[in-house]
Amino acid sequence: MEPGDSTKQARAAAQLRKGVLEYCVLALMRDRPRYGVELLHALEDSGALATSQGTVYPLLSRLRRDDLVTTTWQESASGPPRRYYALTDNGRTALDEFTRVWPGFRDAVDTFLNTSPLSDGDPA
Amino acid sequence: MKTSSDLVRDYLTTVEREASALPADRRQELLADLTEHIEVTRAERPGAAIGEILAELGDPRTIASTALAESGNGTAGTQTGDDAAAPARRGKVHPLVPLVMLTLALPFAMVFPDLPGPAFAFAFRITGAVLLCTSVHWSTAQKTTGVLITAVLPTVVIAAWNLSSGGPEGDTPALVANVAMLALLVGTATWLWRARRA
Repeated sequence: MEPGDSTKQARAAAQLRKGVLEYCVLALMRDRPRYGVELLHALEDSGALATSQGTVYPLLSRLRRDDLVTTTWQESASGPPRRYYALTDNGRTALDEFTRVWPGFRDAVDTFLNTSPLSDGDPA
Repeated sequence: MKTSSDLVRDYLTTVEREASALPADRRQELLADLTEHIEVTRAERPGAAIGEILAELGDPRTIASTALAESGNGTAGTQTGDDAAAPARRGKVHPLVPLVMLTLALPFAMVFPDLPGPAFAFAFRITGAVLLCTSVHWSTAQKTTGVLITAVLPTVVIAAWNLSSGGPEGDTPALVANVAMLALLVGTATWLWRARRA
């Protein structure tokens, strides 16, 4: 029962997404509060970060419990009231910290991926 | 032909069932979030079929297992493989602690045979057994074996000796019995130490 290549790729993408998704969600709230469906649309439009929509709600719930976001209900001109998510001070600190470490992380991965093992590792 | 509200109700019922391991308030919150999502999406996209909206929301089982993993008590039936996040709150004790407590209870009682020596030994054994059971370092089968041999067996044997006065007579046989028991405890603790998960 060896999983096919596409399954493996999907799993690798899911592992990557798991680590960064919450910071992308926090980043979406950087300038203004957002409601759930709005956050999901933004993730979907990004392509690589699109995920099974329903799984984002447990993530939002944890961010709220960890005091990284707060929520408020707001009436809407069309349809039902919406729960808006906004960054707390802790959330902003966590986002700033991730923003600071991410470029180094990204560049390190890029370096490994772009370096040819032959040209770099050959002692001659 | 099922109506839209039937489909939504069926979907939410499935999520509720799959998320039954979640605390009730956490589960209600998840259902409220999903309900709101469905209502908002229907208001924003009046033409979309309800089946399409639910399909985009995803498999109820995936949502429930994510919620379990995020809630920190998803050690039981999670399929997301999020092992790093799940056992966050418990089992932080170093794996040596329960093993040392369980093993040293007997020699402690041997060195201090008068009260409160045996009472301390008994408390060690109980605490060690609880720490062993709540640790993340062993499987359920290993925990059961460990508790049976290092806590239940000595307690039963000692209680039997005390109640019936039928233990080995004389100092030497008693010492031999104690040393044999100690060897069994050390052996079991060593096995648990080697079999532990990092």
